[in-house]
Amino acid sequence: MEVRIDALTRVEGEGALDIRIREGKVEDLKLRIYEPPRFFEQILKGKPYHTIPDITARICGICPVAYQMSGVQAVEDAFSVKITEELERIRRLMYYGEWIQSHALHVFFLHLPDFYNVSSILELSKMEKSLVNAGLEIKKAGSKTLEKLGGRVSHPVSVKVGGFYKLPESLEELEEPLERAMDISFSLLEKFKGLHFPKMELKDIIFVSLEEEDYPILKGHILTSDGMRIRKEDFKEFFEEYTVEYSSAKRSKRKDGKVYATGPISRFNNCYEKLSPMAKEYAKRLNLEAPEKNPYKSILVRMVEIVHCLERSIKIVKDYRRPESSQIEYKAMEGKGYGVSEAPRGILWHSYSFDKEGKIKSADIVPPTSQNQDVMELSLLLGLEEVLSQGEERIRDESEKVIRCFDPCISCATHFLRVFIS
Amino acid sequence: MKIGVFKFSSCDGCQLAFFEMEEELFKIPSISYFLEAQSVNEYGHFDVSFVEGSVSNREDEERIRDIRQRSKVLVAIGACAVSGGIQSVGNFEELLKTRPIKDYVDVDYELAGCPISAHTLRDFLMTLLHGRTPSLPDHPVCLECKRKGKVCVTVSRGEICLGPITRAGCGAICPSYSRGCYGCYGPVSRPNLEAFLKCFPQVEEPIKLSFNAYNKVYRENLWKSE
Repeated sequence: MEVRIDALTRVEGEGALDIRIREGKVEDLKLRIYEPPRFFEQILKGKPYHTIPDITARICGICPVAYQMSGVQAVEDAFSVKITEELERIRRLMYYGEWIQSHALHVFFLHLPDFYNVSSILELSKMEKSLVNAGLEIKKAGSKTLEKLGGRVSHPVSVKVGGFYKLPESLEELEEPLERAMDISFSLLEKFKGLHFPKMELKDIIFVSLEEEDYPILKGHILTSDGMRIRKEDFKEFFEEYTVEYSSAKRSKRKDGKVYATGPISRFNNCYEKLSPMAKEYAKRLNLEAPEKNPYKSILVRMVEIVHCLERSIKIVKDYRRPESSQIEYKAMEGKGYGVSEAPRGILWHSYSFDKEGKIKSADIVPPTSQNQDVMELSLLLGLEEVLSQGEERIRDESEKVIRCFDPCISCATHFLRVFIS
Repeated sequence: MKIGVFKFSSCDGCQLAFFEMEEELFKIPSISYFLEAQSVNEYGHFDVSFVEGSVSNREDEERIRDIRQRSKVLVAIGACAVSGGIQSVGNFEELLKTRPIKDYVDVDYELAGCPISAHTLRDFLMTLLHGRTPSLPDHPVCLECKRKGKVCVTVSRGEICLGPITRAGCGAICPSYSRGCYGCYGPVSRPNLEAFLKCFPQVEEPIKLSFNAYNKVYRENLWKSE
C-alpha cells in the first residue's frame, strides 16, 4: 500500500510525505521537501557585511530574529567585536520575544488542534474559546516585545552589527502584557496536563543543543546528550550535511552516523537545570522531567520555554535603562567568523568569510529544520507502528501529527541550493 | 465568501500576517484553503485568493494560472509575489529565474511590504467583506515619515534613504529606528528615479537589495530588462 500526503498542513512551508507499506511494515518512507530553493548563500556573496541581518531574516518569516542574531554574532566574531553585557541583555529580550511569539503560534495555531481532533484554531475556538483567547494573549506578549524593540514582528529593522540602530527610551509598556501572559500560562496548566499523548520513545538518538551561562538561546558551544562539547567553529568537523535525491533541503547527521534532534526537547533534556524558577515549577506541575524522549510532549516543553522567556523578559524589562549608546564602534576586517544561536526550532549556525572591505566572500547557513529531517523520519517509523493496520486515512492523520511535533520550518530548510530548475 | 491562501517561493512572513490579525482572524467567514492554518482544505473556487511568494519553476507557473482561473479576485501579498522578493536578486546573477506573479496572470490588488502589515491586511479584508473597494497607498514613505514628525535621515545625516521612491504603508519604521528606508514596500507607481539617482548615484545596489529588485517599475526604468 502506498500512502501519500501531497502537501503537509499546519506546518511552515511546503513538504510532502510518501510511505510504502508491505505486509504490515513500513518498507519505505520519504519526507520530501519540494519548495524551490532560494539561493541565499549565493545571493550573499559579494554583498557588504551589514546586509546580513536584513537579508538572512528573509529566510524565515517566523524566526527572523534567530537569523539576525546568529548573523550579527558571526560578523562580530570575524571583526573581533565584543558586545557589551547591557546590549547583549537587550538582544536576549528581543530573542525571548520571538520564542514566545513563535512557540505560541505553534502551540495554539498549529499543534493544539491535533489534540482536539479539529482542522484548525478556527474550529478549536468554537469549542474552547477561552483556551484560544489565552493563546492569543500569550502570543501578543511576544509580538509586542518584537514590535517595541524592532518596529515589527516579522523582519524587524533595528538589529545591526555592533548592537541596534536605536533603542527605546523605556520598555515600561511591556510589563503588563508579559505579566498577564505569565498568569495566563499558569491558568492553562490543567488544560495541558489533561491532553492525551500517544506513547513513543526516541531511544537511540542524541539530543543536541547549545550550552551557555543561562538556558541556551543567544550563543554558546554545542552540547550533545552523550557528553560532547564542541566549539561553534568546529561544528562542521563533527556534523555533516548531506543530500537525498527526493528532497530539495539539505540534511545533517553526526559524522559517526548517529541521528540527532535539535530544538525544545533537546534544550530541555540537556539544560533543564538552567531554566528559570517558574519554568521549572511549570515543568514539575506538568509532570515533565528531563530527559523527555516522547516527541508528542514537545508541546509541553514549548509551554515551559514560554514561561522561561516570560520570566526572564519581565526581569530585563523592569531593570531596563536605555544604554548610553545603542551600538559599539568597530572596523570591518578580513577574516572568518561563526555565529550560532538557538532558534525556536533548534540550533541555527552561520559562518561567513569577508575580504578586507567587509564584503562577503562565502556564506554557510545550517538551519534547525535541515538537521531535524532524519529524526522526523525516525519518529514517523515509530509513531506509525500502532496505526499501520487502521487504514490510509488514519495513517495520513497520524503522520502529520508526528511531523508537527517537530514544528518544521520548511521555508528555512530550503534556503540553500541544490539545483533543479526546470 | 470563500477565501484561499496560497504560498509560492517565500519565507512565510506574509502568511504570518493572517495569524497576527489575532481576534480579527476569527471574523473571516470561510477560509476554504490555507495549508498553514488548517488540515482540511478544499481546492475549489474562490471569491478571494491571497498569494504569497514568487514563481520559480514550470510547476509554479501552472499552479498560479490554475489559481487565477478559480478566483474571482486575486491578491498578491508581499514583496515576493509583487516584485520577486529577495530571491529575485538571483536573476541578475543568473542563479535562477524567479518572477512576480503579475508576470503570469492578472492581479486585482497588490499588498506591498516585506512582509505585509497585519493592520493593512485586516483593513483590506474588512473592506472587501463589506462589499467596498479597498484603496491602497501609492504615495511615498516620506509623507508618513513627515506626518510622524521624524527627523529626515538624509537631510540631517546625508544617509541613503529609499523613502522618496518607496510606497508608504509601514509607518516609516526604518527612519523611526534611525536608519534609512531600505525599500521593502517596493516602488510607488511613478517614482522620480532620475532625480533620485542624481542625489544618490550609488543607489542601484541598495535598490537591488530592497527585496523588490524585480518590480516592473524598476525593471522598466532602471534595469531596462524584461
